[in-house]
Amino acid sequence: MPSVPPKVKGTRPPNEIDFWRGFALVTIFVNHIPGIYFETFTYRNFGFSDSAELFVLLAGWSLRAMVDRSRDLEPLRLVFRIGGRAVVLYVAQLVITVIAVAMIAATALLAQTNLVLQWNNAAAVFDEPVTANIGLVILTHHLGYFDILPLYIVLMTVAPAIAILHRFTPGALLALSCAVYAATLYTGFNLPTWPVEGRWFFNPFAWQLVFVIGYVLGGDGRPQRLIKKHRTGLRFLGISFVVGSFFAAVWGWYPDWLTAPEPAAFFVVDKTFQTPLRLLHVLALVAAFGGAFLYLARWAKPLVQYFSMLGRNSLNVFCVGSLLSLAGQIARFTFEGNLSVDVAVLLIGLVGLSVTAWVSEWRQRL
Amino acid sequence: MAGLAFACAASVAVAQTTPADPAPQTPAVVQTQPAPAAPETVVEAAPTHPLSGQCSVPTSEIAAPAPLPTLVSRLEKNLPLRILAIGSSSTWGVGATSNRKNYPSQLEGMLERVLKDIPIEMINRGVSGETAGTTADRLRMEAALIKPDLVLWQVGTNDAVQRVSVESFERTVGKTVAVLKRKKIDVVLVGLQYTPKFARDEHYFAIREALKRVAVEQNVIYVRRYQAMEFIAKTKASIRMMADDDFHLNDLGYQCMAEHIAQAVTANLFVRRRKPAS
Repeated sequence: MPSVPPKVKGTRPPNEIDFWRGFALVTIFVNHIPGIYFETFTYRNFGFSDSAELFVLLAGWSLRAMVDRSRDLEPLRLVFRIGGRAVVLYVAQLVITVIAVAMIAATALLAQTNLVLQWNNAAAVFDEPVTANIGLVILTHHLGYFDILPLYIVLMTVAPAIAILHRFTPGALLALSCAVYAATLYTGFNLPTWPVEGRWFFNPFAWQLVFVIGYVLGGDGRPQRLIKKHRTGLRFLGISFVVGSFFAAVWGWYPDWLTAPEPAAFFVVDKTFQTPLRLLHVLALVAAFGGAFLYLARWAKPLVQYFSMLGRNSLNVFCVGSLLSLAGQIARFTFEGNLSVDVAVLLIGLVGLSVTAWVSEWRQRL
Repeated sequence: MAGLAFACAASVAVAQTTPADPAPQTPAVVQTQPAPAAPETVVEAAPTHPLSGQCSVPTSEIAAPAPLPTLVSRLEKNLPLRILAIGSSSTWGVGATSNRKNYPSQLEGMLERVLKDIPIEMINRGVSGETAGTTADRLRMEAALIKPDLVLWQVGTNDAVQRVSVESFERTVGKTVAVLKRKKIDVVLVGLQYTPKFARDEHYFAIREALKRVAVEQNVIYVRRYQAMEFIAKTKASIRMMADDDFHLNDLGYQCMAEHIAQAVTANLFVRRRKPAS
């Protein structure tokens, strides 16, 4: 562990996981403002996967750290501790959704245009409130860009089972997860949405594999020993894949849903089904950039401290970030997006995220 | 011949709100007409019959003809049809009193009345506020998973309102339509919403023109929803087609939208059958 001093007393010092989580949070904030100038520079433009994969992978990773810390906890207590996290996430999802709906409604009032009311799949909330309000609470209706937390809630709801299964039969977890993943891609199965007819944007049955891989990689055991042994080879493979997918992404060289052989989900680059190319890409990123933190911590201390602070408070930062992204969309709509508006949106967003993290940690010390 | 006869029935019966037609219950009835004369008569009859009073628009205003090869071949074999309706709020049905009144549901009923023996499965994948780029990604996935015979893609309004560039809109829609056609999926493009608010908006007009160009280049049906609704608004000012927000349609508006699409689809099934060379 490099010796970067913690910026705030009483919080853990910057570490690799917090750093990359913070990086993912900032990237998600930018990616959720469609059309913003800086969107063209986020890494989803230069490879198959994007920050959502990184976020979910690291969520599994840090769950493992939490479970390993409570190694002595009896299973039932562990179940309640992890399950409680799912409840916190659920409350967070409801709160940010309600605020987002209010922001959209307020924009419609102030700008005097009802067109805004249909943004981000919100139309049902205003047009069919009887069903849509039920849908929001039972998580079958998601506003656009407010659809990651529902996935995370599902994952944390099954997380106790993941932790228990892994504690007693560590080998079975990954095998089961892969089997569910393969069956999902083969059948195209996904959870339905309601009242808007459709399917979940993040298919939990496919995305669970990213989470489980994060969980498996996060601890110490046989997989880690194997990885350490073949570190150079893996890094070489990772870098090759990242470079290859860079060219594939930039030149559009990858199979499309309608041109790929059947079953297409195994070959295409698709976010909903978290397809193998996207999964390999995020793993390749980890193999290629794992350990880079040591150099960043030496040469880019302020950056490391900023991202790590965000990562330490990831839920709060994610929630405020989602709302700031929506505020950014509204600002770009109101001021007819140009570069100066985009710069202002980015700066206000970055400051807003760090204030959120700072306040969260300050509050803990009160 | 069966297909031809069905088309006669189709063009007559498509938009009748009460299916009180005792005669053409089976294609056999229509076949009793003298065979050579039949096409001529029906071609002339087609424009006047299919639309209900409130929704009537000169057929030439609705859509230019284009082939629907997959639908025709499935109808010839009496196979069921699976239709994917994708798009934004007008597909989901903002302004309709219930999801049975959105345009895909109403269209399903109309087509079922026309194609009596053919089961029709209508799948609605409208997501409000979506621009063409986002819908195109969903469309490719849904088309691969659902395997529809026909895609109805309602597109353009959000791109126009949200100032998506004309070039990128045209490229996105064109590429997606091309790949659907290669997969032998018929495509109908359903155009932009009519609203007096955007009657003089240059970008709105430019996106409409771009959609028209895509339809011509790809040789697919383009339902000129804007012109059709504008015609109704100007000729029948007393009929209210819009929801309270003055932008989305109400139930009657969606009925007209469905009728116009039904008219365009069935008329083109017929046009196709008239050319034995193909």
